[in-house]
Amino acid sequence: MAGIPPAPSPGVVGKKPARRCAEVCLELLCAESVRLFHDKQSGPAAAAALEAVGYRVGQQLAERYTRDKPRLGDTLEIIKFVCKDFWLALFKKQVDNLKTNHRGVYVLQDNGFRWLQRLSPPAPGADPGREEAARQLALSYLHLPCGIVRGALCHLGVTCTVEADPKQMPSCTFTIRIMA
Amino acid sequence: MGIACVAFIGPQNNPMYLRSIDPASDDLYMKLHYVVHCSLDAVEEKVLLKRGPGDSQDAYLGLLYPTEDYKVYGYLTNTHVKIIVLLDDEGTVKDEAVMRVFRRLHGLYVDTASNPFHKFGLPLSSPRFDGAVDGIVSIYRGAGASQGGFMT
Repeated sequence: MAGIPPAPSPGVVGKKPARRCAEVCLELLCAESVRLFHDKQSGPAAAAALEAVGYRVGQQLAERYTRDKPRLGDTLEIIKFVCKDFWLALFKKQVDNLKTNHRGVYVLQDNGFRWLQRLSPPAPGADPGREEAARQLALSYLHLPCGIVRGALCHLGVTCTVEADPKQMPSCTFTIRIMA
Repeated sequence: MGIACVAFIGPQNNPMYLRSIDPASDDLYMKLHYVVHCSLDAVEEKVLLKRGPGDSQDAYLGLLYPTEDYKVYGYLTNTHVKIIVLLDDEGTVKDEAVMRVFRRLHGLYVDTASNPFHKFGLPLSSPRFDGAVDGIVSIYRGAGASQGGFMT
């Protein structure tokens, strides 16, 4: 369980254990931020605003998580860093599959995207209308993580766009297109 | 003796922070700006040189080049932020001590950048940042003094 910090062992005197936050707080914050932005602004503007928030957070997280790492060389190394260490720190697992067409498009597949875990997927065999509605809802939750990934990549020197596609919830693919 | 100047340069070679540890006149600041600016070329050279397969891809770049008054040391983060430190030590300089200073400066920068109100690309102007830089610099000075140099 990520939430409860362990009781300090008797041998350790004076050193406070690192403070931690329960994961449910992050989940509630994400859900509420999606609701808040969509209430205040209409569709595309809310999406852009959430993406912008994610962008700033991504830049700051890139600073923090690359801090003690050896120098990342080319674009592929940076993408692999995002797939492994960055994803691990942010979503507690690594990206499951990375594909590229070697021409500037990378597709990251996460078979259990953590920030979509709380969205109930449409029942199998449900009508397409309901599936589409569920997909749209999932998309609204993906603007923030897309922004985070884009912010991190741009801050590491890879200018790109990031799009998410919640194919089979909670599995999700992220498509990174490098801008020349 | 010790660290004369600390500078942070952003990814677009934009100066984010340059500070002389001892109080400096405007002329001295111009000179420090000039030295730091020249050191950016040396940073790029060092990075290109280190691209060989056997070299350690570390953030610490070591001594970039010596000028008549200072020794210029560099550090390049993964986000292309350069940290430049000017030493006016006359004796031999311990690489580990300088590396330690750079790591702490990097940590300070990461913590400062994590501020939600921080805007990337703009100069860093905060008394707290100045105070923290002073703290890090004084640790180096303390280490140097214990090696028996003259303190005037």
